[in-house]
Amino acid sequence: MTSSYNTVSRNASQSMALVALFAALMAVLGLIPKIDLPLGVPITIQSLGIMLAGCLLGARRGFAALALFLVAVAAGLPLLAGGRGGLGVFMAPSAGYLVGYALAAGVTGAVMALLPQGTALRTAASAFVASALGGVVFLHAVGIAGLAVLASMPLSKAFMADLLFVPGDLVKCVLCAVIVHTVAKAMPDWPFGGRAR
Amino acid sequence: MVGLYCDDHITWLHRWPAGRKLACMALLGTLLFIPATPAPLAAAALGCALLWLSLGAATRVARRLMASVLIAALLVAGFHLWMGRPDVAAVSALRLACACTLGVALTVTTPAAAVLQVLDALLAPLARLGLRPERVSLQLALMLRFTGHFFVQWQKLDEAHRLRTGRAGGLRLIAPLTVQMLQAARRVGDALYARLGG
Repeated sequence: MTSSYNTVSRNASQSMALVALFAALMAVLGLIPKIDLPLGVPITIQSLGIMLAGCLLGARRGFAALALFLVAVAAGLPLLAGGRGGLGVFMAPSAGYLVGYALAAGVTGAVMALLPQGTALRTAASAFVASALGGVVFLHAVGIAGLAVLASMPLSKAFMADLLFVPGDLVKCVLCAVIVHTVAKAMPDWPFGGRAR
Repeated sequence: MVGLYCDDHITWLHRWPAGRKLACMALLGTLLFIPATPAPLAAAALGCALLWLSLGAATRVARRLMASVLIAALLVAGFHLWMGRPDVAAVSALRLACACTLGVALTVTTPAAAVLQVLDALLAPLARLGLRPERVSLQLALMLRFTGHFFVQWQKLDEAHRLRTGRAGGLRLIAPLTVQMLQAARRVGDALYARLGG
């Protein structure tokens, strides 16, 4: 591993590049126009980035990628869908989802590492399950908690409001599985979920 | 770096050190969650409005952002009014509007690099746990570089697809783009190792 302060291991330099790549992917997905729903929570394609980060990078790197992205947002770069950024967005009603981004990527990666990855098709199915658990169920749970705290909304109402997003997010899970399938075929040595092969 | 920071109009808040601004915002942001009645929050909202006005033209870049925040606050208020809780409506809408104003005021008056410097200092104690603050800056730079590369690569693939088929590539390009970007990241990782590794 790292011997002195300024040197990095091969693993660490790969990590840095991949973490930066997926943080950049989040920024790119944020440039795709968003659809605003009431309650100030927009539908964006950015949650696809979370699912992909979890499935392709695994828990630790996936979390780091989203954390890096959120640091850039907090520093004032307008990278969230619709050109939002700065510390203000961490105080908006949807802030729970933002904090959830990093955690959800971690959960997606952890689940992905546990699921079977024998063939490309099986890997894609695992990616669907992992992104549904981490990128939908977990992320929405954190988001609902955020809505309840930041907008003093009763949990049941926050839950109902949140349900509006679930169909769209399930479509993103399918998209994530399709992309994972492609990567599994094109790069058979790819360590999905951070699992060494 | 691009961002919401505005340096065309230097205001009094620009001259505050970034660390002091962040500390004030953290403190005020927490205080906002204490009152449960509208009166103190209305006073806070008045303060925030004065703060906003005192920044003058510097807030222009964030006007659309602020408008969307205010609309969100109104929607939250409308929701609580509809539920028959006018007091909760006032409290939550005012709290949201105040917190977001503080955040946006900090963002337009502080360059991203200054915020990152404060972050570096705050993260410094974590160095013992293996997190390198100076790596965060390197990774942010890499991230911005990759963001541009995504578009270059997409354009190349789209042009190639147009040449073959005469139509725009659309969603079909996602798969080759993903593979190419993953390979690019691996090459960048190798390059970093070649330069920093040992």
